[in-house]
Amino acid sequence: MNFQERLADICRRMQDEKLALLVGLHDGAHFIEKPNPVMVLSGFKSIGAAAALLFSDGSCTLIVTPRWDAGRAAELCPQARVVAVDDLVAALRVFFGDDFPRDTISEIGIAGLSLLPSGIASPISAALAGARAADKLIFDAARTKTVEEIAFAREAARIAELGYARLLQIAAPGMTEDALAVDLKGYMKTLGAEDNFLLLCAGPHNRAVQPSTGRKLERGDIILAEITPSYRGQLTQICRTVVIGDPPEELARKYALVVEAMRHGIAAARPGVAMAEVCRAINAVLEAQGYGEYCHPPHIRRRGHGLGFASVRPGDVSLDNATVLEPDMLFMIHPNQYLPETGYLLCGEPVVITARGAEVLTAEQSSLGIAGRWKD
Amino acid sequence: MLTPHPTLLIGPSDWQAERMPRQEFTRRIDALWARDPQAERAVVFGSSRHHAELAYFSNLIPKLGPALALLSRSGEHRLFVGDSANMLGAARPLTWIENVASMQDAMAALAAGKAGPRSLMVGADYMPLALRRAITEVLGKDASVQDATAHVWSQMRRKSRYELNAIDAAVKATGAARKAMREALMSGAGVTDVMSAGERAAGDAGAQDVRTLFSLDGGRTLRPFFVPVRQEADPLLAYLAIRRFNYWAECFPLFTTRRESTPLQEKAWDAMGSALSAIKPGVGTSEIGQLIAAAIHPYQAHPITAHAFAQHMGLALEDSPHADIGAAFEEGEVYSLRVGAMEGSSAGMICSRMFIVQADGIVAFDDGLPELQ
Repeated sequence: MNFQERLADICRRMQDEKLALLVGLHDGAHFIEKPNPVMVLSGFKSIGAAAALLFSDGSCTLIVTPRWDAGRAAELCPQARVVAVDDLVAALRVFFGDDFPRDTISEIGIAGLSLLPSGIASPISAALAGARAADKLIFDAARTKTVEEIAFAREAARIAELGYARLLQIAAPGMTEDALAVDLKGYMKTLGAEDNFLLLCAGPHNRAVQPSTGRKLERGDIILAEITPSYRGQLTQICRTVVIGDPPEELARKYALVVEAMRHGIAAARPGVAMAEVCRAINAVLEAQGYGEYCHPPHIRRRGHGLGFASVRPGDVSLDNATVLEPDMLFMIHPNQYLPETGYLLCGEPVVITARGAEVLTAEQSSLGIAGRWKD
Repeated sequence: MLTPHPTLLIGPSDWQAERMPRQEFTRRIDALWARDPQAERAVVFGSSRHHAELAYFSNLIPKLGPALALLSRSGEHRLFVGDSANMLGAARPLTWIENVASMQDAMAALAAGKAGPRSLMVGADYMPLALRRAITEVLGKDASVQDATAHVWSQMRRKSRYELNAIDAAVKATGAARKAMREALMSGAGVTDVMSAGERAAGDAGAQDVRTLFSLDGGRTLRPFFVPVRQEADPLLAYLAIRRFNYWAECFPLFTTRRESTPLQEKAWDAMGSALSAIKPGVGTSEIGQLIAAAIHPYQAHPITAHAFAQHMGLALEDSPHADIGAAFEEGEVYSLRVGAMEGSSAGMICSRMFIVQADGIVAFDDGLPELQ
């Protein structure tokens, strides 16, 4: 399915729901776990608040802020009519103002409202009182990725692996977590990553992966890195664990266990299987080794997740996700396990579901990394 | 200037007491109470995108999830961060507030805290609807609730010496970045490599965050990085914003291998000079806007600066209403003044200067480099 075919699918769903207009909203604060209906409907990753108005005939009006971003929007979304403004709320108030037939308001579906800041959401909600929630319609249609998104995900995976190679090259005692993260982000940007959810932290015994701080790396540290570049608005992630110095035997053994759990998860991921089963397959490996109590909060919340920025479907790799996997679904499988002997360990790959099962998008899967530049 | 919001803030943000001492924050909180003697507590919200008010009181810039500060007139200040309990360790170095807990505990703390006659909310418009409703309900149970965001914005405008030092450091970092970008351009680098050189230099200079835009059409429009641009651009107009110690500096550098300035560039800089010499405390901002419009004649105003020829600079880079300049320039405030001019549809030029308003005029910040590259 390509972008236009997905739009056609959304239009069919609109007809089924007797909707004449879909309004997708986003505030421009792009976050890995925040779905973006504007991107689904238009393909545009906005700088500021934006709305995509999809009419049942397939035509689309894209309202973008700031006004000066009009040219870029028109260039990237040639299929849309672009309206550039400085105030999205004011523009929508005009569009849905006194001249708008109020008796048709129930034929409008609205998506993204609950994730907006209240200062934007409240006036839009008032202007569109009576419109129906349409988040499910849009994101049901975007539960699988388009061919374009999958191609971008592959490129993002390539960039992530190059970023990881650089981490192995440059991580050294005395460097701060922040400095390492800044360097990696900048490097991956030169490769084409326009954004990056790069969680990176280190310590002798990590409780979780966290945003970087000014802490200096030390010999014996375990570096955790969720390297998550976005290429043309499509995120892909790899989760890696790197030790500074020779890894203790127990760490190597435990990491191999987590990798094994991940492989079981990847093997379980195929069309027709519920996402919960992927989580269960990962947990089973760890439970068999006596880590059952660490397979639940607060130690672990999920074993993976969808990859935005447009749609985050099929959602979390978790026991409560009944989503049945289909070809072209893209998501992370990451056991990312806390173990009492070693602390938190990161291990994860992006996969796309094919008719035959889960295809891993990385060229080289997780293994315990060793940072070496400074080695004796 | 609005720039693309990164999905995760990456860069050194730890609280440095020697840069922004605890007394500076308590002075700010005392000023908040002084403006509203009835208020017993204040809830200050911030997200990774909108956090100037939260940073003003707590130093915390949420890198990942949102955060709430619960400031108390008579009790302990508390900070609630939206990341999981296992991740609190990464938030603690970012703030002087010692009591840091998970956001999951915030509602219970609000419900249990001493209310007094009035509670203040700051940054309420940035909260998601559901959170705002929940907090309003809890706060409103025992006290009246007042949105004090606009009061805080006005409080934030006059800069302390600590803030000026932070801004000066950010301006100096723009100088380091500009120098690296100029060298990259002169060596024949493509657009992305020029911008990357600046970002790297900013990082080496200690930048906490760097935002860039660039022009591929001779300065008529600006755009963010989306895919690498290998082609050269000469002249290359860029936008560069750098944050240090939580405070932003910005500039619109123009890079070119040409030795002579164009009439458009000279006109823009002349207009800048005229505007800067006219600014004093009490001078109307619209007066300066008109002066610039007249001074760039016969060129037209640049679309990017037409509605924002000046902006308050400090903890926020975002556009209005936070950074609105108000009716008149006031002593102690820091601005970025921008002059943008268009030569028909063929070329555009934007120049800018950051300055502080003092009793007898302005003092411009110095990034250590000449104006024109």
